[in-house]
Amino acid sequence: MTGARRGWQATGRNMLRILPVLIVLALWQFASATGVLPKSLMPSLFEVGRALAGLIASGEIVPHTLASLGRAGAGFFVAVVFGIAIGVLMARMHSVQLALEPILGLIYPVPKPALIPLFMVWLGIGNFSKIAVIALACLVPIVIATFNGARSVDPMLLWSARARGTSERRLLWRVVLPSALPQIAAGVRTAIAIAVIVLVSSEFISSEAGLGFLIFSYGGVGAEDAMLAVVLYLAVLGYALDRLYVAGLRKAMAWHAFAH
Amino acid sequence: MRYGEGSDAVTALESIRLSVEAHEFISIVGPSGCGKSTLLYLVGGFLQPTTGEIRLRDRPVSGPGRDRGIVFQRYSLFPWLTVQDNIAYGLREMGVPRNERERIVADHVRLVHLEGCERRYPRELSGGMQQRVAIAQTLACNPEILLMDEPFGALDAQTRRILQDELRRIWRRGTQTVLFVTHDVEEAVALGTRIVVMASRPGRIKEVLTRGFDIDDGDEFEANPAFAALKLHVWRSVKEEVDASRT
Amino acid sequence: MRSPTDGHASRMRRLFVRIVPVGTVLIAWELATRLNVVNPYVFPPVSEIVLRWVTLVAGGTMLGPLWDTLWRALLGLGMAIAIGVPLGLVMGRSRAAEWFLEPLFSFAFPLPKIALIPLYVSWFGLFSLSKVMLIFTDCLFPIVLFTYHGARGISPIYTWSAQARGTGPLRMFWRVVLPLSLASIYDGVQVAVVVAVLVAVVTEMVSGGSGLGYMMMRAYRYGDVRTAFATLLTISLIGYVLYRIAQALRERLLFWHVTEA
Repeated sequence: MTGARRGWQATGRNMLRILPVLIVLALWQFASATGVLPKSLMPSLFEVGRALAGLIASGEIVPHTLASLGRAGAGFFVAVVFGIAIGVLMARMHSVQLALEPILGLIYPVPKPALIPLFMVWLGIGNFSKIAVIALACLVPIVIATFNGARSVDPMLLWSARARGTSERRLLWRVVLPSALPQIAAGVRTAIAIAVIVLVSSEFISSEAGLGFLIFSYGGVGAEDAMLAVVLYLAVLGYALDRLYVAGLRKAMAWHAFAH
Repeated sequence: MRYGEGSDAVTALESIRLSVEAHEFISIVGPSGCGKSTLLYLVGGFLQPTTGEIRLRDRPVSGPGRDRGIVFQRYSLFPWLTVQDNIAYGLREMGVPRNERERIVADHVRLVHLEGCERRYPRELSGGMQQRVAIAQTLACNPEILLMDEPFGALDAQTRRILQDELRRIWRRGTQTVLFVTHDVEEAVALGTRIVVMASRPGRIKEVLTRGFDIDDGDEFEANPAFAALKLHVWRSVKEEVDASRT
Repeated sequence: MRSPTDGHASRMRRLFVRIVPVGTVLIAWELATRLNVVNPYVFPPVSEIVLRWVTLVAGGTMLGPLWDTLWRALLGLGMAIAIGVPLGLVMGRSRAAEWFLEPLFSFAFPLPKIALIPLYVSWFGLFSLSKVMLIFTDCLFPIVLFTYHGARGISPIYTWSAQARGTGPLRMFWRVVLPLSLASIYDGVQVAVVVAVLVAVVTEMVSGGSGLGYMMMRAYRYGDVRTAFATLLTISLIGYVLYRIAQALRERLLFWHVTEA
């Protein structure tokens, strides 16, 4: 069995997974069309689809998508960079760990969306406050994951590298980070999900642009079909982001394995 | 008996023909991967043969049942139940009334010499004690056939020997037919009235030997030359298969 | 080797080490606001926050909203457990159920259920029901997922051993699959507890009515930052306390659990 053939088989199996979703969507449309699901409760799939098509065709969805992705992305990347740095520092230097661990413990139980109004009072109603909350929210899982990953590096690896004269700095890049990568990757994946949640919450609470804002305002005026259209769009977007991340990660790991 | 699909299929067992009389003790030995456990699971009804059938008293076996009890090497005890609750489990499923149940449990606790441990949890017991409970809980359901999948394989040599003697004693006094899978040749010959040697790839029966002599409680059978001869024969037979599968 | 007298001393030292960083931050905060380095209208002094918190709790003003948030979170969580655990167990043992349900949960997972607040409000109104339903929806996912994985990972030896002792398929769920999955289910519950509090607060912040989330938003709207922070403190405390309770209960419930090596 060649590798290519196996690859196709896997794709086929993945495509098959969408079947139950399609079944549910079909049931939805059927229920709406036959009146089992009254329009007053929920618009039909076709109506939502039409609304979505309209939003995409008119391009209206684009600026909002960009606004949301921009905010979430900025906060996310800040969190990744600082989170990994802090996590590694905590793992390698005991004093840093002692200093920061209790503080992290304080931040952890605070539901980050609850900090949104605080950040808005502090940093203004604009994008910056939202980016900051998202960054803070994403920071915690990344720091924890990096810390755990960097801490559990096999000491044998470190000793043997040191014995071969690797400087402490190269040690970090060549040994610690790669071995902590799986856990960091898992933490980052969690952070993606958190970023989306905090993003939408912040846009619900206050904003003038973005997908959350669209959902909230359409809901407010009773345009349920448009609102659900954006919800669906958001669901697909979230799913796609997660999948892209996983696929990208696999590619990066493969390249990494080759390069070494 | 085949697994898998298309070109990945694996024939685990081929042309197995075996009949077993009541109250026999059949030891099944062979190299790893010869399908001896698979055979056991087929008899137990946990797997379905792709060709052929298993018959119990002229009726085909279609699934697991109380008439065929099974003892595994590990994890056969429910960790959230005490020793007595584990033994009572099958009885509760059968709807046996409380008094009766307690009596049967007490009997079986005594049978495996675990008095005083009734209220302990599996994690508090040693490996040997856990296997005793496993045997007790299976026997409590009064199966006709006792299937044992390398039950003493995870125990140390001393405990193994003690439990072998106990198992022989229990089998002697009872009426169960035992199918005992092991990779330990000495164990197979010490316990079995008939010894089935299996070959691997594909799994099949190589030969079936009958132990011509009896072993009683407390016998020092190692000293018996008939035992040594039989054991050597079986060992050589198995070794042949191990060597063959390595080439 | 640790001597008997070490225990007390090292415990004190550990406590000390944990308090110092937190204490430093708090003291810095207090000083920074008092000296106007940080705007006290944004970050009131810690002492005043604590004072306000004590006043609100002792005076009973905080208790009503606290109870509202709490019962909503717990009710939603309870419903999620009642429905999610059986669902996860069935998914774990039935190929058909798994085939149908797993993709549904996987696809729906990345969507922040919070985006459904307007939809739920239109269905269930502005008050508690919509909030509880959203909490239920959000908690369902971790519970189903964890239960599903727990049920899937059961060694067939347990089920075979049970089958050979006369256990029918229905009883199998109750007597074998459920206890064996319990550790995993509990992990899911621990995650869900945190989610429940979070969603309760966010729904209150967005759709108002009552509860700690609403109380906090209201405080900000009136410029009452001290109350806002005090509410934030309570919110964080609930999450923390519930998680710790869940953790402590775990030891008692799962005392028999041994992770299979």
